Amino acid sequence: MPVKWVLYWQPNQGSTVSSQILNEATQCVESINGVKEGRWKATLIYYKPMLRDQANQAEFPRDFLGISLADQPSKYYFIIRSQRIVLESDSSIQLIMEKLQSYKSKVALYFEGFQYQLGDFRLRVGKVVPTHSENVRGIVMEGMELFAFGADSYSHLVVILDAIYDVEYLPISSMEKSRKVMEEFLEIWHEALFKRSLPGKFVNTELNFGEFGLGDSYTPQHTAVRYALVMAHMIATVQAVRG
Amino acid sequence: MQPLHQSQLPQNSAEAENNQSELDAPPKQVAQAMDRLNQAARVIADIRLGADRILEALFVASHPRHTDMPLQLFLREDTSMRQHLQDLSLIGKKLEESGVLTESLRSRSNSWGLHMPLVCPDGAVVAYAWKRQLAGQAGASAVDRTRLALKAFTDQKRRFFPHIDDGLKMEPRSKKPRASHSLLQHDREEPVGYETLPDMLSRLEKLVPNVKVSTYGRLNWLKRASSLHVSGGEDSTEASKPIFQSSSKLRSGLQAEVVDKVAVIELSVPSVFRAVVSLNPAGSLDPDAVAFFSPDEGGSYLHARGLSVYHVYKHITEHAATALQYFLGFGTGSGTPLYSLLLWICSFESLFSKPCSKCGRLLAMDKKSALILPPLHRAYQELPLAVNMDVCEAYHAGCSPDES
Repeated sequence: MPVKWVLYWQPNQGSTVSSQILNEATQCVESINGVKEGRWKATLIYYKPMLRDQANQAEFPRDFLGISLADQPSKYYFIIRSQRIVLESDSSIQLIMEKLQSYKSKVALYFEGFQYQLGDFRLRVGKVVPTHSENVRGIVMEGMELFAFGADSYSHLVVILDAIYDVEYLPISSMEKSRKVMEEFLEIWHEALFKRSLPGKFVNTELNFGEFGLGDSYTPQHTAVRYALVMAHMIATVQAVRG
Repeated sequence: MQPLHQSQLPQNSAEAENNQSELDAPPKQVAQAMDRLNQAARVIADIRLGADRILEALFVASHPRHTDMPLQLFLREDTSMRQHLQDLSLIGKKLEESGVLTESLRSRSNSWGLHMPLVCPDGAVVAYAWKRQLAGQAGASAVDRTRLALKAFTDQKRRFFPHIDDGLKMEPRSKKPRASHSLLQHDREEPVGYETLPDMLSRLEKLVPNVKVSTYGRLNWLKRASSLHVSGGEDSTEASKPIFQSSSKLRSGLQAEVVDKVAVIELSVPSVFRAVVSLNPAGSLDPDAVAFFSPDEGGSYLHARGLSVYHVYKHITEHAATALQYFLGFGTGSGTPLYSLLLWICSFESLFSKPCSKCGRLLAMDKKSALILPPLHRAYQELPLAVNMDVCEAYHAGCSPDES
């Protein structure tokens, strides 16, 4: 499977995330001869356990995440980042969980966007989209809880993530061998962005995959873990901002 | 259906006429011969019709209704048939005498370059005069066409293979590689006059230990290519056993008979590339094609004349074709073209790590294809036979000094 880097936008000190970034980034891709190819989407769901005795809540991990990926439609991935667990299962597990009423969705995030082809590179840009009928603008933090929010009532809260980006280099699947290539590609993209004076940069999710039992050869589990890390990072950023 | 006049004449005058015809100019002879052939054709047609009528008469005679008519018919046809046959034999004699049925006239010098029409044994008439003229025209245009084709070919050769021009010397790129090259002359082993493939490959793998070298017969390679798939392409399946595995101990003896059939050499650097070289004829040391693929690619299109689905390997394959032509045409002074090619292929181990020697970057936008690519070019003109293949310089297609 081709190596993929999952990126998030890190604004410079003092500036906040702006939804303008998405448009600018997309235009940059097109300026380096990217060709819009099709749609893609991903779903991230934070689960909380349904317990009879609420006091036990603390025993259960808070970052239990379920992810569905566009290029693996028949699979579903679970990650508990704090315990370094990643699991691949069949997508029917969601139905089973519903029937068992064991876990409930706490926050559901839907990303939708386009994918672009630039020669042997593939870029995906996914914006947070409305769930149900809400006009969702992003993910917010309130207290220690995550919410997806609509434009109207939660505007005073900090938007922490409005889009997720990923870059794939199709010919090879070794993370080690593709590192330099991906770094330079990011540089090229940044150079193009720099011309538009955007305050910030894209950051890759770097982590020790070995802790999750994952190797050098790239797999969808790597992606799932990366998405979880992006979320964790976002939360940490907001917490830092709030002091 | 008239009997010919000539048949009425006495034999003498017929002979006289023949003698006269010998004195005629060749064009007249040819014209006369053509005439007589036409006459002969007409008589033959008459004979055919006569034969039909005789058969008809016989048929009618078999029906006892008509009493006298069939006999009359029969007698009439009989007479006319005999006449026809006589005519034909006369014409035949004349044709024979004028050399149409034989080739006697050809040996005559005084024929003005024209030949009598010749009746071939299978009945075809060859009118030489006309044929010669047409043939002459065709010949002239063939010469022209050949001349044009040669010119077009020379132009193409000059354009795509500039280094194969005769009499043109190549400038050395810089002093350094030359120096290192000559230094290594001492350490370099003597080029073997004739080495076997296993020897060559073991020499190679000592030089580039990270590259896996395997050989296959053509059919076995096809099996292997089809069994390679995206996940876990590195494992060779039972279905396709390579004839020579780099770490195999079964080299001597057993391999001697099998080496004859080696037609494909596979060079693979895990996670970087897989290169396929084909040998033609199988069992020889002559490479005729090379192609590069992703290590994750698999399928029956994976062969020395196939193309990868990824741009980077597609471009390398194109570049490799030029390098192959260079090795076949020039060689690098030591080692066979095959060895040079294999060594050059191994220099691509650094495909995703070695930046371009000109611009210092790994990725660059290739102007021609509007794609972002790593340095795909590796210098092949002065192939260092150093232990460390890193000496081989890498360039982007646009940065390459070869670019013209």
